[in-house]
Amino acid sequence: MIQLKHIFHWVNQGGKRVFILKDINMEVNEGEFISVMGASGSGKSTLLHILGTIQEPNEGDYFLKGESVYQLKEKQRSLLMKQNIGIVFQAYHLIDELTVYENIETPLLYLNIPASERKARVAEMLDKFQIVGKKDLFPSQLSGGQQQIVGIARALIIEPTLLLADEPTGNLNSKQGEEIMNIFKELNQEGVTIVQVTHSEKNAAYGTRIITLSDGQIEHAKNDQ
Amino acid sequence: MFKNYLLLALRNLKKQKVFSIINIAGLTVGILSCLMIFLFVQNEFSYDNFHENGNNIYRVMRVAERNGNRETIPYLSPPYATAIKNDYPDAVKTAVRVMPAGGLVSYENVAFNEKEIYFTDADFFSLFDFKLTAGDKKTVLQNPGSVVLTETAAKKYFGKQDPIGKVLILDKELQLKVTGVAKDIPTNSHLNFDLVVPISNYSNSDWFREWNNNNLFTYVQLNPKTDVDKLTGSFTAFMDKYVNEETGEKTGLDLSRLEDIYFESAGPWDQVKHGNLNVVYIFMSIAFLILFIACINFMNLSTARATERSKEVGLRKVLGAVRRQLVFQFIGESILLAAISCLLALGLLQFFMPAFNSLLGYELQGYWKNPNLYVFIAVIIVVIGLLAGSYPAFLLSSFSPVESLKGKLRLGTGGAFFRKVLVVFQFSCTVLLIIGMMIIGSQMNYVRTKNLGFDKERSVVVKLDNNEIWTGMNRFKQQLQNNPSIENVSLMSGAPGGFHDSFTFQVEGMPGDDLQFRTVFADFEYVRTLGLKILAGRDFSPAFPTDSGQAVLINRAAAVKLGVTPEKAPGMRLRNTMRDSVSRTVVGVVENFHFLSLRETIEPMVISGSMDRRVAVIKLKNGDPGQAINAIKKAYTGIAPVYPFEFEFLDQQFDHQYQTDQRQQYILSGFSAIAIFIACLGLFGLASYTAVRRTKEIGVRKVLGSSTQNIVILLSKDLLKPVLLGTLIAIPLGYAAMYQWLQSFAYRTSLHWWVFAVAAITAVLIALITVSFQAVKAATANPVKSLRTE
Repeated sequence: MIQLKHIFHWVNQGGKRVFILKDINMEVNEGEFISVMGASGSGKSTLLHILGTIQEPNEGDYFLKGESVYQLKEKQRSLLMKQNIGIVFQAYHLIDELTVYENIETPLLYLNIPASERKARVAEMLDKFQIVGKKDLFPSQLSGGQQQIVGIARALIIEPTLLLADEPTGNLNSKQGEEIMNIFKELNQEGVTIVQVTHSEKNAAYGTRIITLSDGQIEHAKNDQ
Repeated sequence: MFKNYLLLALRNLKKQKVFSIINIAGLTVGILSCLMIFLFVQNEFSYDNFHENGNNIYRVMRVAERNGNRETIPYLSPPYATAIKNDYPDAVKTAVRVMPAGGLVSYENVAFNEKEIYFTDADFFSLFDFKLTAGDKKTVLQNPGSVVLTETAAKKYFGKQDPIGKVLILDKELQLKVTGVAKDIPTNSHLNFDLVVPISNYSNSDWFREWNNNNLFTYVQLNPKTDVDKLTGSFTAFMDKYVNEETGEKTGLDLSRLEDIYFESAGPWDQVKHGNLNVVYIFMSIAFLILFIACINFMNLSTARATERSKEVGLRKVLGAVRRQLVFQFIGESILLAAISCLLALGLLQFFMPAFNSLLGYELQGYWKNPNLYVFIAVIIVVIGLLAGSYPAFLLSSFSPVESLKGKLRLGTGGAFFRKVLVVFQFSCTVLLIIGMMIIGSQMNYVRTKNLGFDKERSVVVKLDNNEIWTGMNRFKQQLQNNPSIENVSLMSGAPGGFHDSFTFQVEGMPGDDLQFRTVFADFEYVRTLGLKILAGRDFSPAFPTDSGQAVLINRAAAVKLGVTPEKAPGMRLRNTMRDSVSRTVVGVVENFHFLSLRETIEPMVISGSMDRRVAVIKLKNGDPGQAINAIKKAYTGIAPVYPFEFEFLDQQFDHQYQTDQRQQYILSGFSAIAIFIACLGLFGLASYTAVRRTKEIGVRKVLGSSTQNIVILLSKDLLKPVLLGTLIAIPLGYAAMYQWLQSFAYRTSLHWWVFAVAAITAVLIALITVSFQAVKAATANPVKSLRTE
């Protein structure tokens, strides 16, 4: 489903190129649950941002469902992304001024989905994560774990084919973290492709494949099965 | 989507209370000022636009070359109208004469001294669209013995009774039956009357047939297809045929469009309402400045807050928002703010309108029904929304999502620099307004306190404006002179500040061009009553019985014009070509005095004893003026019993000439205060924003041992620099602008350096107080608290 070919990304420091990602080649198949691991500064987050098209690498190609992402026009690319990719952040990144309900609804607004359908889909999501009772609360009124659940619900509302997660449990205690990881596992079993970035071996173990980054390069890919 | 934005905007407003209040308060006050000025400007430009045939109506003006200047005079004599209608039957549809006058009007036992009576031709109400609530516009003035009153005037005489058919008596002789009632004259009409009486009452008088008796206005309605330039071109022949042959003068004739009359500078004698285009422009610039200052606040606070909202923007981008949607969201937010402010401003407008009306000196009516008001508001909302919202909108939407999510935005120098530039602008405008206000104030003070060259204190002016007091004026004067509380009485054609007509004089021994002099016609007490100084020769004196017919006094300026020193002037002989058949001898020269307002230079003047008495100037002795005024009243009512006694103090009457300037001063002061208020509101917001943003830094500095004082200076310095720069820019601009304004006065205060210093210090001081208020608050906070929040 996803192919990254010869991805290079660097910053200039004192006239010298410092590589953040160096010749990354990877493939993600449908239904996979990939965990990206590596030390701080190894380029994990940048890789995830590139997958989410929040960031563009200096060099390289990105194919999503057979389309070369960087060849697309801004509008088409934006459409492709917002229909296919959901992102979950370490710091949840909910909009503080919006309620739980409205936060989950927001991505649908940008897809121009009619109000009645939005309502149905948000209700379904609230139901699925058992947060119906919290729909009118603001993020600041929720615990970290609950906020992250809202974050996941928001990522899933568009029914993405790919879910990207940047240390989704990094700000949570172990019990909350476990809960989130179980949700991910269930989602994967339902058919959602997931790429997560994580520090924790334990969380990485939930995945079907682990990619380890070191100094911007893929060290080795090991298959659990 | 829209609902989502709206909700978010409202929640943001609620969450950021200080910013919202500053934004809304600033915008509301700004919009309120703009609305008031808009209503004023709109009224000024709407003068006489309600006449259906307005495009074809013109006022006929006489044009004269005087001392190389083209002067237009609105007064014509009665025969013009008839002759114009007769000579140009194709071009001129109707010609209507309007003679403004005053008179005593009585009904049963009530009597009023009416000042706004128009004597007009019968088609007055057909030509002009002054609506009649009773009577037919074609016939109301058909009969000489008829009169039309305005609703207010009718109520004054008849109360709730039906006025139609009632009989009013004008000047105790002329019986006038009420045939019609007119709606009250709209504010935006240059013509303004209380009663209209047919001019046909005078058509048999001798003066009505004289070409040189110029005492009324003539309005013509041309046929729509008339070539106006061609018509005015042919007026030279017309004037030569009727007028110039007789008088030997070279007077021309011209037409002024009805809608242009209001802004015409037709000289001080034109009795209709006039406006000043410059004042309108000044007001418009002020409105623009204030709105600009308020918009700057908005932009500044929004960009300052941009970092806080950057996370939201980044998120929305990740969630699929394209830039256009974000721009739309932020501009929408500022439009919402503008709309809220507009609503508040409209509410406040209702509340402040009476005060504004009294400041203007007239009532702006029916503004709620004015569709332009709503168009203006819609335009303001959109313009402010776009102007104030676009910079933050484009700035915010240009953030890279990764950076804004990581919270390491490099907004830094660019935005801060832009904010500073805006503050510089803001304070330039503010200081400019303060300078304007102060210089107008000091000029007004100068004008009021300047030695005018005559004694204006304790002098009472009584008009000799009715037949009884006029015929009994010598008795009146005699009685007053015998009164112990009165020092002197002089009867004259015009008191200082009043009417001083220009006449052409022939100087004996100076062949060639005749000279123009201002004139006053007065009795022998003129010089003594006004306390003028005789430079050479002597005053008029009863010891020389020929003085009244054969002598004149001149002022110093006249001596200069005659080319002699004041000492040499006595003995020269001059003749008023219009009024005198023989020359008069100059018997004395008086020092120059300001018989016109200080806008004008002192012109050469001739004081002569010819018969033309319109006012009495009565100089009171020291002591209780009330007693003296009672004595004058007693003498007046003894001679003219029915006429209400009216008087004015000479100094007050003289100061009336500066009424418009005085109003301008008040209004400018008000708006300057508003501008300072809005600018400081913005500064306050910026200061509190900086303080919040630097809380941690302040905490660390304090822990490291910095004193409160140092921190206050640190925080204030940054914001005061642009204020100082703005002030520096404003000073030369203010100097140039006010130098220009002062040119309209012939006698003016000098532009003292301290005015600029005071203006600058005021602005900086207010800014300093505003900024340091926040800085002190931040600096005195407990550092432990501020560090813990991180």
